[in-house]
Amino acid sequence: MISVQEFLLRTRVEHRSLEAWIHAGWLIPPQTEPELAFSDVDVARAQLIRDLRDDLGVNDEGISVVLHLVDQMHGLRRSMEALLNELRGSRQGGD
Amino acid sequence: MSDDPYTTLGVKREATQDEIRSAYRALAKKLHPDLNPGNKKAEETFKEVAAAYDLLGDPEKRGRFDRGEIDASGAERPRERYYRDFHAEGAQDHPYSTSGGFADFMESDDVLSEILGRGGGRARFRIRGQDVHYRLPVEFLEAVNGATRRITMPDGATLDVVIPPGTRDHQILRLREKGGAGIGGAPPGDALVEIEVSPHKLFMRKDDDIHIELPISLPEAVLGAKLDVPTPTGSVRMTVPKGANTGRVLRLKGKGVARRDGSRGDEYVTLKVVLPDRLDSEIEEFARRWQAGQQHDPRRGLEA
Repeated sequence: MISVQEFLLRTRVEHRSLEAWIHAGWLIPPQTEPELAFSDVDVARAQLIRDLRDDLGVNDEGISVVLHLVDQMHGLRRSMEALLNELRGSRQGGD
Repeated sequence: MSDDPYTTLGVKREATQDEIRSAYRALAKKLHPDLNPGNKKAEETFKEVAAAYDLLGDPEKRGRFDRGEIDASGAERPRERYYRDFHAEGAQDHPYSTSGGFADFMESDDVLSEILGRGGGRARFRIRGQDVHYRLPVEFLEAVNGATRRITMPDGATLDVVIPPGTRDHQILRLREKGGAGIGGAPPGDALVEIEVSPHKLFMRKDDDIHIELPISLPEAVLGAKLDVPTPTGSVRMTVPKGANTGRVLRLKGKGVARRDGSRGDEYVTLKVVLPDRLDSEIEEFARRWQAGQQHDPRRGLEA
């Protein structure tokens, strides 16, 4: 688990932004009690949000949309991978 | 990477910082690894582009590079794992995983759902509740002076809405976390309350000021008077000067709409001289023999 301090340091995000992002549902800290803590995936996601906002000029509304679509795309990629592996497996079994 | 960061970004050496920035943005939008999870080449190119921008995006570093004090090597930006790396097959599940992109396939096909479902309990799903929109009609004076109104939500719960002093028509008040419930332990959405201010029979509002038309009698207009004038916070005694005409505007300082900083706008009182409904013979007699009045032409200069 990663503390808030370390999280802010690693992501180079201001505390205010972090609070807003959690409020918007962009970040879902895996632990909130007794204090906030984060995992590596939260760090990577925060860096993506920061890139979108600072480097790509995406506004807040746009970030919500991008995150939603990116998450769906990852879900699809994973399931496609699972599907392809299943296909490969059944082919080998049939030979 | 290409030796010349200017070539990498596709800008001229004399490009402005703004041009460099938009060139970088255009490339980054296409190449960002998290937006191209399956494209290794995009990642390589993005690294080059990011390194070039690291150098040229900072005017100071750019100046040192231009003067030959530093070169383009070693400028690569250290980066932790990209977000996409947490989504590889076999990676641990996390709260952001969603089957939203293919849930509909799974409903209809048993074989597919067996395969897709195997990847790990992807059913965990958290999403912040929806924002809920309300409209709340309020009286003119409630909006001007502030008030608290209770609204009943669709689920029967009540919500006290604090209408701050000076609230405008169509202003939207955001009540944090008073909207739809979140799913999977995520916070609820917000309630967005649009205020509709009904008009007032006496007062007109313009920004922070109140305008009112005040009828006065002929003797009051001619001789002057002290009159009670309605304001949003009760009536106030105002002096109408001698000879005050229709259209004359008097200002009551600080009697307008409350502002956020605690001060208030002003109230503007427009006078309107009103004759009695029925004129008696005395005033008719007076008008007939009033010499100066007969010669007064209020329409002088009115010719089109």
